[in-house]
Amino acid sequence: MLSVRNLTKKFAGKDALKGISFEVSRGEIYGLLGHNGAGKSTTLGIILSMVAAGSGEVLIDGISVQKDPRQALRKVGSIFESPAFYDYMSGWENLKVLVGLSGTFDGEKAREVVERVGLSERIGSPVSAYSHGMRQRLALAQALLPEPEILLLDEPTDGLDPEGIKWFRDFVLGLREERGMTVLFNSHLLSEVEQMCDRVSIIRAGELVYEGAVNDLRDDRPALKITADPPEALREVAERFRGEQMPGERWVFPEETVIPEVVSALVEAGVALSELTPMRRSLEDVYLEHSQLK
Amino acid sequence: MMFLSQLKGELRKLFARKRTYIGYVVFLVFEALLLTLWVQVGRDQFEALAKRNFVPVELLSSSLTATYWIMGFSMFLLGSIYFALVAGDIVAKETEDGNMRMVLARPVSRLRILVLKYFAVMIYTVSFVIFVGVTGYSMSLLAMGSEGGLFIWNPEMYILAIYPDRDEAFWRLFIGACFMGLSMCVVSSLGFFFSCLKIKPAAASVMALSVFFIDFVLQNIPFLVNYKDVFITFRMANWVYVLQENIPWDRIVESYAILMGLNISLFIFGWMAFQSRDFKT
Repeated sequence: MLSVRNLTKKFAGKDALKGISFEVSRGEIYGLLGHNGAGKSTTLGIILSMVAAGSGEVLIDGISVQKDPRQALRKVGSIFESPAFYDYMSGWENLKVLVGLSGTFDGEKAREVVERVGLSERIGSPVSAYSHGMRQRLALAQALLPEPEILLLDEPTDGLDPEGIKWFRDFVLGLREERGMTVLFNSHLLSEVEQMCDRVSIIRAGELVYEGAVNDLRDDRPALKITADPPEALREVAERFRGEQMPGERWVFPEETVIPEVVSALVEAGVALSELTPMRRSLEDVYLEHSQLK
Repeated sequence: MMFLSQLKGELRKLFARKRTYIGYVVFLVFEALLLTLWVQVGRDQFEALAKRNFVPVELLSSSLTATYWIMGFSMFLLGSIYFALVAGDIVAKETEDGNMRMVLARPVSRLRILVLKYFAVMIYTVSFVIFVGVTGYSMSLLAMGSEGGLFIWNPEMYILAIYPDRDEAFWRLFIGACFMGLSMCVVSSLGFFFSCLKIKPAAASVMALSVFFIDFVLQNIPFLVNYKDVFITFRMANWVYVLQENIPWDRIVESYAILMGLNISLFIFGWMAFQSRDFKT
């Protein structure tokens, strides 16, 4: 459904993207992870034809965004972090103006979508009176009109309260369930990516440093946070158990490792333990390892 | 059909904003003030002037002459501010506020977006000039009555004309107002061009006004009098030739062809700048 091929981009002579490539299949929810300035928004900008790629190509359902942006974007609905509406107009008028740019505005269809996003009662109020959550619902409504096949979400849950985040997540998952909607989800909220996405890629400094299924990314190997003295003795014991040192005094052991045996071995080796905490290696850990922030 | 509905949307955005109406309100107040001064202070002076020059006083102090004054002397200086303000905002404000990303995410070309905005600004410009003409004339009628013709005296353009017949005077002034609307489109085109660049909306308006006033000042410098034809503001002032007894159509056509060429050039340059821009948060 979406094919991003070898995208490069420079801003003021500096590389913002260095050959990003990934594919999103129909009906898949794909997460783009990366810290601020990593290149996520630039990638999204190129997909939406708002940013000109230095080189490379984006295909949406086989149509090149670079060659025929109008045709390619017909299948796309998008939501940005802090969506900017015309505050002095009502939600309904905003929908009319924005959806009108895609073709004819179908009032009946719009009413259905507005009801679905739970905005029926306030759709006639000026957007200036909307809360952040209501703006995000309006953004969702405009993205779903007319019927897109792929949704591009740029940090859509930023600033939402936990209830709003859950509502948004359930709504998007429901869209995939009902319509087989394809979603590209750009976020730095790892828990959201973990709960929503099938596959994920991590972008760091304009480079794609990881791509795979969310389940593959999650690591269920036993992990311990160990603060001990002397560190050389700790290392020797841990390595005997084929432990792998991670940032932040953490050690990850093979799946079959029996942790009490590791603890006994440390005690027998005369290692003075000041902290030993079992840990689950989260998606966040994996993300930070790949993005080399830790 | 789709273009018209999109243009309607663009006009809805433009006219839903309060700042669009600043110019309308200011002109209404200005017209009321000018007419009050005209009636309270100016009438005696006009009568004296009429007697000295053997001109019937109802020509000098009539509703049509007052309308000509309101339009002819205020539109260039006062009106240009509002045209530059609205046109300077049209692209730059949406870019600054982030609305432009929502628009560009739609399957619509950048050229189409700009054409819609340009048309909306031109409609605003012409309708504003007509609004000033209509309200100016209506208020003049209330203040002075419907009697009297039209007296035109414009030394800069070497025009002196008298129209005792009210109907002819009315139509001359109406056609003049239409040409003036076309002239003012140049200020809006300047504002539109700067609005397409990567600058703040206020900067776009200030730049447009700067170009306009610099041109106006240069045009009025005595040693440049022989080069008047090259200045935009001189060409814009050619609307007044419609009020000359024998209308010099060749001159008018030449001037408006030049102004239209300028408008098209400004649009194309603005589009080229807009087309090459990246839009990010």
